[in-house]
Amino acid sequence: MFLKIDPNNGIPIYDQIVRQVKYAIAEGTLTPGQLIPSVRELARQITVNPNTIQRAYQQLQDEEVVESLRGRGLAVCRGAVKQCVQDRHELLRVRLEQVIQEGLRSGLEPEQLSSLFEKILKQASKTEET
Amino acid sequence: METSTIHIEGLSKRFGNNQVLRDVQLEIPAGCVYALLGENGAGKTTLIRILMGYVKPNAGTVKVLGLSPQREPFALRRRVGYVSDFPVLYDWMTVKQIAWFCSAFYSANYSESFGRWATQFDLPQETRIRYLSKGMRAKTALALVLASDPDLLVFDEPTSGLDPLVRKEFLRSMVDLAAQGKTVLLSSHQVQEVERVADHVAILHAGKIALNGELDQLKDTVALLRFSLHDPLAIPPASILNLQSFHCEIQGRSIQLAVRQLSAEAFEQIKNETGITDVQWIRPSLEELFILSTRESQAPPWQASPNKKIPGGNLLRA
Repeated sequence: MFLKIDPNNGIPIYDQIVRQVKYAIAEGTLTPGQLIPSVRELARQITVNPNTIQRAYQQLQDEEVVESLRGRGLAVCRGAVKQCVQDRHELLRVRLEQVIQEGLRSGLEPEQLSSLFEKILKQASKTEET
Repeated sequence: METSTIHIEGLSKRFGNNQVLRDVQLEIPAGCVYALLGENGAGKTTLIRILMGYVKPNAGTVKVLGLSPQREPFALRRRVGYVSDFPVLYDWMTVKQIAWFCSAFYSANYSESFGRWATQFDLPQETRIRYLSKGMRAKTALALVLASDPDLLVFDEPTSGLDPLVRKEFLRSMVDLAAQGKTVLLSSHQVQEVERVADHVAILHAGKIALNGELDQLKDTVALLRFSLHDPLAIPPASILNLQSFHCEIQGRSIQLAVRQLSAEAFEQIKNETGITDVQWIRPSLEELFILSTRESQAPPWQASPNKKIPGGNLLRA
């Protein structure tokens, strides 16, 4: 799992870690039962404050995405994949909403927006297939 | 174990007519990476040198690891590692010789520990200090300090003038120490680096602490509200007039206000006003907080400001 942290993008660093761990689980890069790096390992790897990583891991534990295996570290929960896929879709929905709002503000009619959306969707699914 | 590693109260320092520090209060908790930010001449180095016992303050109390830097400087320096931006090393010694020299001040396993760091940093043990590059020299100073296994590490502008790889090595050792429960204090200009590695910050401005606390909390309490007015000359609606903003920037129709404790309701209300578009709530970056607390505060034209001249003054008042 590679994390990319950008301290300047307006999203708190701990939240960026939470999101990227969830993405990794949703994509299957991290699988249920797999151990995630310790706080110290991840701090070294991405040069981020260990307390910030601790906060992210605490949130992942509270949301039952990872669980503590006594003496071994934190592992991805069995039921986490479904939830992470859902969370990812939700983040996607928020981004789409922002784009649509921007489109409306810029003066596009809803019909124009939706035909634009259809067109892009058609192109994208074509390139996905090939 | 002490809950706060560094305790500073009412600290003032004057060099001749130059008042460098004015009534500084600061608590630095154990196990954090605490960053001290400020412009050149803000008093960062003086503050650090007082903490290390190299400079005597004119007034105030300072305790570092429960010790007084003025009365117990040697006991203190055995437990604190200090790396300055230009470390003074005997440059006729080889790396190996200087480690042997330093080992006399610390416990028996110093040399062994230094050897491990020297390997990790790829230090040429047989080379004289004077022939080392700036980066190698900095890494030697860092290895000498890390080998003593200090409880507190103090870095004064540690990464200035170093290449990205050496900087990374420095930052990595900082987060690694914090992960082991040690405390790190660093002064820096590199806001981007600080944003990654620090969990607490203090911003020094003209010898005073303009802002300090947990970095995430500071970013949560201050909101930057950006919007465009259809008619830049009209008086904005009450939802905006009622905001207590302490800084205002106007670029034509676009306005950015710095607001403390912006509520979600107030934000929604502003979004729904007619005549106001592109309303954005921006979480400030450390750089923006830095600029806000070191610049003269500028009240919006519609808001009477009783204390226009105090830089960062309004940020201080909760």
